Amino acid sequence: MIAAKHILGTFDEALGALRNNVLMMAGLTERSLERAMKGLFDRNDDLCATTIADDEEIDQLEKQIDKDGVDILLRFQPVASDLRRVVSAMKLSSNLERMADQATTIARRARKLNRHPALPEVDLIRPMYDHAMSMFKDSVDAFTREDVELGRAVVSRDEKLDDLNRSASDKLVERMGRDPGQLRGYLNLIFIGRCLERVGDHATNIAEDAVYAANAEDIRHPSLATAT
Amino acid sequence: METPEQTVLERLERGTAPPPEAELPPARTFEVKNMSIWYGEKRAIDNVTLDVAANAVTAIIGPSGCGKSTFLRALNRMHELTPKTRMEGTVLLHGEDLYATAVDPAIVRRRVGMVFQKSNPFPTMTIGENVVVGLRLNGVRNQRLLNERLEKSLRMAALWDEVKDDLHKPGTSLSGGQQQRLCIARALAVEPEVILMDEPCSALDPIATAKIEELIYELKTKYTIVTVTHNMQQAGRISDYTAFFYLGRLIEFGPTTKIFTNPSEKQTEDYITGRFG
Repeated sequence: MIAAKHILGTFDEALGALRNNVLMMAGLTERSLERAMKGLFDRNDDLCATTIADDEEIDQLEKQIDKDGVDILLRFQPVASDLRRVVSAMKLSSNLERMADQATTIARRARKLNRHPALPEVDLIRPMYDHAMSMFKDSVDAFTREDVELGRAVVSRDEKLDDLNRSASDKLVERMGRDPGQLRGYLNLIFIGRCLERVGDHATNIAEDAVYAANAEDIRHPSLATAT
Repeated sequence: METPEQTVLERLERGTAPPPEAELPPARTFEVKNMSIWYGEKRAIDNVTLDVAANAVTAIIGPSGCGKSTFLRALNRMHELTPKTRMEGTVLLHGEDLYATAVDPAIVRRRVGMVFQKSNPFPTMTIGENVVVGLRLNGVRNQRLLNERLEKSLRMAALWDEVKDDLHKPGTSLSGGQQQRLCIARALAVEPEVILMDEPCSALDPIATAKIEELIYELKTKYTIVTVTHNMQQAGRISDYTAFFYLGRLIEFGPTTKIFTNPSEKQTEDYITGRFG
């Protein structure tokens, strides 16, 4: 839903700039995750190095979004959907920054793996990567389009990612027992799996914030009573 | 006897939570039913039904000309001072019909006090005289009682410490914010049940405004307060309930937190976010 124009044009501009920075940050984070994983799958150290170097730009954007958000709260004291959009944008940037950190960790681990002969077990990570990235893209889509149903759907998909991670970890631990010489490599893959599992957690947070921004509904921790 | 911890643990085990206080129906001071008001041919209020919670602050917001001041004034029959006014519907104060034939409007205005946008101390009276003028007009002559009520009202209006040595000075010698608190003290002196405020801070600087807001917060423990304000942030800060009026109609009424985070009506959302028109 696109809101009608605000009487105060500068408010619309400030909200627009905040939103654009969030979307840019989401784009850069997506690119970093893709590059880190391509660095792993293609054994490409250059891509890993680029991912690590790009993290600074994403950190910079996080600080910019926080500053712009605080400025908006201070200058315009937004309420209702405007308030929810600003708060959600700020929370989103924090989740994106942590996702980008996961991309950096993946790139570092991939570089270590690239120093040794290729492990066919890398393929165990692929389904997790596909699932985590689809959750990530849909969560950002849910925020951008204020799509409550899509936001809810993303949240429900996190469990599958956890299952995939558990299953991959179990297999890698089993391989460790059979082939202790590759222990470091298997361990790096387990850590990469955990990074992707965390990407899914952050995507879930973003989807929950998207639902809050669009619908003022707090869907986090459903077992708890609704806060009033 | 079980300790609070035991009670909580038991509830946790049973999986039941205590009912939140907000869910309990609040006691009502006013019950307004189907109120409509006309100034001559012009309909200023259109079929408004609304309950005002006791010991809470209810803010009325809306664009100029939406009827919020008229509604406020109708709660103590002040609107009747305007010629060619007609009213339909009922207003119950603690269950009593304020518009019943036998009811004296002067008594209503004593029970339901009012503070106006611009502070209006009587210019020829001292600070002390301004506070107790209502009591004197009601025939109170006992000096001890007048002195007691003078101090009590000024203390409640958070003005006593600032004026206790200057009670003989003219009311108009005070600053704008102090004058407004003097008017609140004057309203409190007759011990009303409700205080109505018509944009009480709109002519004040931020510091004086903060003092009045703090005062409103303290007064609600003893009084029911209904206030009209153009300042959305102020409504958000001081009120427990908010009513949004537009073109004489009550568009939305509910807890302030709900109205300012997730209003149900698009018109309310558009107004409070500044997207109106």
